[in-house]
Amino acid sequence: MHELIGSAIILAGSVFLFSAGLGVLRMPDAYNRIQTGTKASTLGNILVLLGLAVLHPAWTWKLLILVFFVLLTNPVSSHALARAAHVIHTPEADETVIDQLEDEELEEARAAGSEDKAGSAT
Amino acid sequence: MIKRLLIIFTLLLTAAIFARLVVNYNEHGELTKLAQRYVGQGPAELGAANLVTAVVVTYRGLDTLGEVTVLFISAAGAGLMLRRRERPQATASPVEKKPASEIVETAAELLLPIIFLFGVYVFVNGHLTPGGGFQGGAIIAAGSLLLLLALPQATLRHRLISITESLSGFGYVVVGVLGVILAGGFLDNRIMSLGTFGTLFSAGAIPIIYTLVGLKVGSELSAVLDRFREPD
Repeated sequence: MHELIGSAIILAGSVFLFSAGLGVLRMPDAYNRIQTGTKASTLGNILVLLGLAVLHPAWTWKLLILVFFVLLTNPVSSHALARAAHVIHTPEADETVIDQLEDEELEEARAAGSEDKAGSAT
Repeated sequence: MIKRLLIIFTLLLTAAIFARLVVNYNEHGELTKLAQRYVGQGPAELGAANLVTAVVVTYRGLDTLGEVTVLFISAAGAGLMLRRRERPQATASPVEKKPASEIVETAAELLLPIIFLFGVYVFVNGHLTPGGGFQGGAIIAAGSLLLLLALPQATLRHRLISITESLSGFGYVVVGVLGVILAGGFLDNRIMSLGTFGTLFSAGAIPIIYTLVGLKVGSELSAVLDRFREPD
């Protein structure tokens, strides 16, 4: 019985992994690709590992360590990638509505600029 | 068009090479004489649960010493080629480097000890599980690479690294010579008791040798990676 359950969980995980690959192909710009590639593949990986844990209960702790590793590294690396893409001004899709990092940087630049002005005035 | 034809031609050529392998492949029914000797007497003779390690570290230990030497020479060559200029222009670098974000720094600090621990685990358990000195050392160097990428202001302590590297290389040769004096030959692992088969402290000197190799490879590759860094 638990063979069936484990296989079903692994299959569900592979569906998510497939959708991650599809998203990388179909999404309009780099940021969207990064985000589909990360979110869906994180969940897909975790489901595959949990399915393996159901199939082989003796491996559970090692697989949980792997889940922890995936949960820690996948979002952080995609964050670093997306930030690096933003720094070198990778173009966004035309449909993009909001870019909070850009706003934040403009805000910071403005704050620094006004500080400079205040400093030179005194 | 020509480019596409060339690609197809290359693919066909590659396929032809591998097709010969696939068509003429027939599995060996039995082990060769040398392999029989290793498989039959290796575990009892050397006490290593991982037979590959027994072959690499003891039966073919001299080869491994040669590999470590090759790695050392290539690291030295990279150091010679990539020697840093003594900063002729002390002016500010043209592009101001953006520091890594807080998320990256925190995650790197959290991950680094785990990566180093895993590297040590891989080479300490070299005689029991797949992996060993070279693999564990490469994992440690990967940790150093993460450090250099995520925390660019961090610096490696070159003196400490070169001392570790020299001492572990020296220790490796000393263990080998001890094998000549106390046991059957150069790099013989039976200078210590073989212990209980399959436990961490077993297989004589193999864990010691692999720990030394792991430290040497890890420090060497870390030093090479550090040399590739742009001077700042």
